[in-house]
Amino acid sequence: MGIRMKEKWNDFTSAVRGSSWKVKLSAVVMGGGQFLYGSYVKGILYFLSELSIIVYMVLRGFEDIAGFFTLGTQKGDAWLGTVGDNSVIMLLMGIFAWIVIAVFIYLYQMNLKDAYHTQKIIESGKGLTPFKEELAQLLDKKFYITVLTLPVLGVCVFNILPIIFMILIAFTNYGGDIVPPELVDWVGLANFKKLITLSQFAPTFFKILGWNLLWAVISTVLNYFMGLGLALLLNKDCVKGKAFWRGFPILAYAIPGFITLLAFKFMFSYGGPINQMITAAGNTAIGFLDLDAKWMARAIGILVNCWISVPSIMLLATGHLSNRDMSLYEASRIDGAGRWKQFQKLTMPFMLFATTPVLLSQFIGNFNNFGIFYFLRGGLYVDGYFLASDTDLLINWLYNLSIDNNYYCIGAAISLVIFMITSLISLIIYVKSPSYREEDTFQ
Amino acid sequence: MRRKINAGKMLDTVVTYAILLAVAFVFFFPCLWLILASFSKSGSIYSFDGFFPAQYSTASFVKLFTDTTMYNYPKWFLNTLLIAAGSCALGTFLTILTAYTMSRFTFRMRKPMMKTTMVLGMFPSFMGMTVVYLLMTQFGLINHLGGLILIYASGAPMGYLTQKGFFDTIPKSIDEAAKIDGATNFQIFTRINLPLSKPIIVYTALTSFTWPWSDFILPKLLLKEKNLYTVAVGLMSLDETEFARFAAGSVFIAVPIVILYFCLVKNMVNGISEGAVKG
Amino acid sequence: MKKKSIALLMIASLSIGIFTGCGKNTDSAQTAPDTQTGEESGIVSTVFNGELEHDVTIQVLENDTAVSKGYFAELIKAFNEEYAEYGIVAVDANMNQYLDLANDGPYGYGPDVLYQANDIIMQYAEGKHIYPLPVEKMECFDKIPETAWAAYRIELGGTAYTCGVPVNVQAPMLYYRKDLLPEDWETNWDDNGNKIPDMAENWNAMYAYSVNRHEEDSSRYGYMKSLYDVYFSSGFLFTYGGYVFGNNNTDPSDIGFSAGEAEKGAWVLSQLAGAMSEECIDDSITTNAYSKLADGTYFATITTPDMYSTFLDEMVLAYENEGIEEAEARARAEENLVMTTLPSLPESGDLTEENATFLEAKSMGGINGYAISAYTKYPNACLAFVEFATSYEMMVKRSELLGVAPARNDAADTAGGTSQLLYDNLESGNIVLMPSIKEVSQIWTPGETFFTDLAKDAFRTEKEKKYTDLDAMKKGLETVDQQIYDAIFTLK
Repeated sequence: MGIRMKEKWNDFTSAVRGSSWKVKLSAVVMGGGQFLYGSYVKGILYFLSELSIIVYMVLRGFEDIAGFFTLGTQKGDAWLGTVGDNSVIMLLMGIFAWIVIAVFIYLYQMNLKDAYHTQKIIESGKGLTPFKEELAQLLDKKFYITVLTLPVLGVCVFNILPIIFMILIAFTNYGGDIVPPELVDWVGLANFKKLITLSQFAPTFFKILGWNLLWAVISTVLNYFMGLGLALLLNKDCVKGKAFWRGFPILAYAIPGFITLLAFKFMFSYGGPINQMITAAGNTAIGFLDLDAKWMARAIGILVNCWISVPSIMLLATGHLSNRDMSLYEASRIDGAGRWKQFQKLTMPFMLFATTPVLLSQFIGNFNNFGIFYFLRGGLYVDGYFLASDTDLLINWLYNLSIDNNYYCIGAAISLVIFMITSLISLIIYVKSPSYREEDTFQ
Repeated sequence: MRRKINAGKMLDTVVTYAILLAVAFVFFFPCLWLILASFSKSGSIYSFDGFFPAQYSTASFVKLFTDTTMYNYPKWFLNTLLIAAGSCALGTFLTILTAYTMSRFTFRMRKPMMKTTMVLGMFPSFMGMTVVYLLMTQFGLINHLGGLILIYASGAPMGYLTQKGFFDTIPKSIDEAAKIDGATNFQIFTRINLPLSKPIIVYTALTSFTWPWSDFILPKLLLKEKNLYTVAVGLMSLDETEFARFAAGSVFIAVPIVILYFCLVKNMVNGISEGAVKG
Repeated sequence: MKKKSIALLMIASLSIGIFTGCGKNTDSAQTAPDTQTGEESGIVSTVFNGELEHDVTIQVLENDTAVSKGYFAELIKAFNEEYAEYGIVAVDANMNQYLDLANDGPYGYGPDVLYQANDIIMQYAEGKHIYPLPVEKMECFDKIPETAWAAYRIELGGTAYTCGVPVNVQAPMLYYRKDLLPEDWETNWDDNGNKIPDMAENWNAMYAYSVNRHEEDSSRYGYMKSLYDVYFSSGFLFTYGGYVFGNNNTDPSDIGFSAGEAEKGAWVLSQLAGAMSEECIDDSITTNAYSKLADGTYFATITTPDMYSTFLDEMVLAYENEGIEEAEARARAEENLVMTTLPSLPESGDLTEENATFLEAKSMGGINGYAISAYTKYPNACLAFVEFATSYEMMVKRSELLGVAPARNDAADTAGGTSQLLYDNLESGNIVLMPSIKEVSQIWTPGETFFTDLAKDAFRTEKEKKYTDLDAMKKGLETVDQQIYDAIFTLK
């Protein structure tokens, strides 16, 4: 590592020494070097980007950065008509300003490299690549840049920015009484300290974490294999009218999850049809989901989750199965392999390879499955749990603690802790999985 | 010997169909229950004979579409259709492109990007809702259906790993052959890989179309006017005594999704197994 | 910047003259030794300066029932005609009736005037999301009892403000069917001979009849109610000395579900549960009571007065299904469906005690009213609307169309019947108003859990029962208090 760093440094210093004044101009006026070397369009583009960033910084960037640190100084009062500082908006704008600065640094670096590169080309006597050609490259060699710009931008704004925001919130006192127009403040690690010192917190946390892991593993495995099994079954030659048979799970898939959950909750309630039939037959009603029904409620949750998730996995698996190389199956049949052997040696490895990401995203989805128990069995605090019920997953508990009570900062701190644990687990699994390590096994 | 095989085959077929029937029943029964409940004459689930209503009528559906002063279902339905169609088109496009790129190109940021998206999915999504709301107030996109399309479509590429898994199974040799023939990467994608990936496109389109129909957290956060509600938000805002309307409304949601499925179903099984090119 | 300084200047100049006019708007304002009253209470008259904004549209958020029963349309129409000369137009805000003003208001997405329960309005008041109102100058001020006004009062910086105008009283009511009474009720079930059946007068008779009815025919029940519902079940605790928060529902650190002899109330509930089916454990009865009362499976239940029309419609439907003509069916339903205030409770808490002494039942209730958003641009037009909507005529009309009990005494007199009873209950303090502080949102889940457990207990085997005596119930209630305390304070 050290040697590499040193090499890089040497490269850098020699580049600094070797660069012409035109390149050095680029260090001050972005695009200046390129312009003087004859790449006019590129030069102007670089210059414009520098200009717009400077304009942004002067107009509001510096103010936003300051706001990021102070989180507001003037409290608003709607009664007096005073428009005060909105701390959360200031935090958001502050993050945005940091991002703009980061983009600027990246552009600046690119600009210098490009200017130096242009100089080298000119010195070596080769012709410059015309700007048009560079654009054309975006459809070919650098196709990925063209394609990924939009998705990456979208994900940054609507996924990464919120996450950064929530992580930062964990270090403030936002929530409870302190919501705008009240001013929010940075509190450092106080929220985490509170979590550690709270004696009721740890026992409930580990109890729920245990159940949550169990739930995620069981549901993922069940959903996955049932979906795959269903797809294989429907793929058999002897099945006529595949579209028709596949239609039933699709129907289940077409009805939104929350409606399904409400319907199931009703079916299993004391006044629901199942209990009506039980009592009509002269038996006592069963509390499928009531307060004492710990394991029964958990089992029902798992089954209902299957009902909701299996159809989509079946759909996906159907698509994947049609991508198999059937000649391998022919060959194995000639070798005398039975159906089970084929499944074990050919289908399974192929499917596992193609769908590990699905398996993982299923695992994540199930781990953070908020809806199931919120709808089926919400509104209970069970003995031995701190403000939670025995079917609650971490995300439900998090909801009870933060959103329900408005303690965003504590909620953010807890989710940060959960997030670090779960992401570590899934990252390790993912990096070790064949679909990450050997991406071209089946190519 | 021969008869034995035939008998075995017969048994296999019988068992297969038995399982299929069971599966169909398990999935269909609750749906049937909901469908019949929506045709219940009394409009209440508590006047049923066991599982199903005693008398039937189409009154709840008529009410659903004509009595719109309080609950404007037709409008909600159109809103949702618009959002779903928009985010389906945009979302599918972005997801497929992302997945394809991540599967086919090797560049410096690729593996870190794969790991990052993996990890980002673990963050409890509702914690970020406050921020999405704040962002949308800054963009002035509260009470705009377009705002929802924007969010759904931008979030869609996060799930690209599924689609990438599919592209990973399409042999690269096809690409290389085309490259030798002088095709650009853009051409390889549109002319060769896209036709081969119909099943996964259909899957992506279906899922991104279905998502807005069932999501109610986001629309509830961003759409304040009742006329802009989506079906899910609207149904959740129904009064507790409006069960028949609720059932009718929920059943009708399924209609466009089922239609879409039957339109797309012939593309579900396609690709290499039937295709002309083989690796 | 300029706007800000002008506003401050106006406040400063106005506050001197206003001190006498508006400074005395509440009792506590006079008694509290305050220094800020001058400037702070000037706010009210600065904002509401009496100059009507012309040619403006104000968005009004009413509750769903008022919209669906057509009352709101009439109200808007009448108001718009009255104020046509000023060009003030009120329109339906067309938003969710439970929208969160604190979240949406600051960004300009809230209504101008909103109708809500007192606890919600006062949560907004704490964050200054709604304006304090010059209620003393309003026509309805002395027509509405002090208890109702108190629900809208808040003290900020040593000054008391009133932030809403009470419109109607919500409290649990007993619904029962006259035609399901035993045939001999006038001789055997009317001990005091006042022509009101004992079941509607005390819980002991109600319990006895419930047991009777179920024993005669196991598919029928007497009084039925989902017990988990804190809103309805907590009244039983309050009757025996329980309360929600201490210091008149303002001190969240003092939680009193187990206070006094509240466990007796829990005992009453568990006895009642014994005469019900398992459906009282979850929300089944809450949703099926309408049709089950109509088809005669249940004899009685309790819920809020605004559900009267729903019960009535179901009963008409049931009669029609029996082959009775519509007009006749409606007449019969109106005759047989009775809505009245809650029966009284035995002092001992024992529903089987003979010749018991009775206590008047208390119940948790709420006062719904109008408030004006602090983010409105036209406060005076909004105030004019609120004045108009709380006038005698509109209150009477509201009560007629929606069956709700007005908070105005003259309107309650005109409406008569249960409205009058509810009004009296409010004045006598038998309706315990929902606390107006935001911590109240933490009482529901712990309460629901306890009541569910209590209901479930009636169906557990002898060995498994958790709440066998008063002590166990007291402990259970103490757990509720502790959980609420935890929910409010551990993370603070």
